[in-house]
Amino acid sequence: MQEFLNAYTSINLIFLLKGLWITIEVSLISGALSFVIGSFLGVIRYAKFPVISMVVGFIVDILRNLPLLLIIFFTYFGLPNFGIRLNIMTSAIAALTVFEAAMIAEIVRSGIISVPIGQTEGARANGLTGAQTMWHIILPQAYKRMIPPLVSQLISLIKDTSLATIIVLPELTYHAQIIYGQNNSYMIPMFLAIAVMYFIVNYCLSLVGTWFGRRGNKTA
Amino acid sequence: MAMIEFKNVEKYYGNFHALKNINLEIEEGKTVVLIGPSGSGKSTLIRTINGLEQIQSGDLIVHGENLAKKKTDMNLLRKNVGMVFQHFNLYANKTVLENIMLAPRIVLKRDEKENRELAEKLLEMVGLADKGNSYPNMLSGGQEQRVAIARSLAMKPKVLLFDEPTSALDPEMIGDVLEVMKKIARDSDMTMVVVTHEMGFAKQVADQVIFMADGTIIEKSGAKEFFENPKEERAKKFLSQVLNH
Repeated sequence: MQEFLNAYTSINLIFLLKGLWITIEVSLISGALSFVIGSFLGVIRYAKFPVISMVVGFIVDILRNLPLLLIIFFTYFGLPNFGIRLNIMTSAIAALTVFEAAMIAEIVRSGIISVPIGQTEGARANGLTGAQTMWHIILPQAYKRMIPPLVSQLISLIKDTSLATIIVLPELTYHAQIIYGQNNSYMIPMFLAIAVMYFIVNYCLSLVGTWFGRRGNKTA
Repeated sequence: MAMIEFKNVEKYYGNFHALKNINLEIEEGKTVVLIGPSGSGKSTLIRTINGLEQIQSGDLIVHGENLAKKKTDMNLLRKNVGMVFQHFNLYANKTVLENIMLAPRIVLKRDEKENRELAEKLLEMVGLADKGNSYPNMLSGGQEQRVAIARSLAMKPKVLLFDEPTSALDPEMIGDVLEVMKKIARDSDMTMVVVTHEMGFAKQVADQVIFMADGTIIEKSGAKEFFENPKEERAKKFLSQVLNH
């Protein structure tokens, strides 16, 4: 028992928190980027523009069906073969953004589809262009409905950052590995510690999501 | 000159022939009522007038624009053609006032103060002056429909289309909506096309009644003539079914 508690020195805990910070930082940056890119792709796919929408749909479907780990390998180990050399942090963010954008594109597209067609017809008959209808009427209602799936996607993203351990991104899981790499008896204590950290962050997020979800139901 | 003109218009949904060789002229400023059994193509026909449904052949000229031509700018056309729907289709994410003011603001670039004054005036006209800040889901169906009418009027259209405006309403709500529509027919010089099952309304305000069945126009006549002395057998049968109960 004493051995177990010895693992939690303040130095080790601060080291873990630094890792947690990188996890959060990478998640927030790729979350924000993939939200913007995914929204664009989702709208384009929904809009059924000739050729463009099909190409976007094709790419989104491919990305959604690849393992994220493969995409991370590709951005870090593959891209240099094409003359693009990204540092660890940027490769991780790029890989997560590309993958999450494809996921969010589908969430956005189904969010748009879930808004009753009458809203579009009402707006178009009222004189709004397709783009104005999307921006002023459809997307605001669609995003409200999308909050729960978007939050769970963000939670997946935070968990998925641990995959970047493989390219030695200094995030939470990797920092835990470094600690128990030096003293094997610290392994279980470290697993427990990072489990608690992941849980707290993600559980708080899911509470926020439920709260917004409930609020959304009330107003529209 | 005719405000709306159908020439040999055909409309298909896949293999289903929804509109068959429609020929029809609607004069500017007139109120025309479309009646007929369900599935007869009334709603399809009215929805072609603002391009919500596309026609496959023939010509459809509305306010001087031929909708059969690919390059016709639908957005431009719809500034002049308003529509009121069976299920209202108010913007769920906007207040009543915002519902009315949005299109004039972003499509017509109307001055904000003028926009608000007109919106408030229209709300008063439909009897909902105190509902400006409510959201659509806080209103009854009849109130929603009157807001929808105000929203269409705010664009100051030349043509106003009504697609079964009272069919989704509770019976006690129908009267208020019909009153507003009568007021518009009486006081404005807009061209109105109304799909309805309200025969009393048709009798009172229609300049012309068009009876449709199976995607074709069976009979066109003045309102009085149509209700008192229908010529076609199908029209007679339809009238006896809807009036005698």
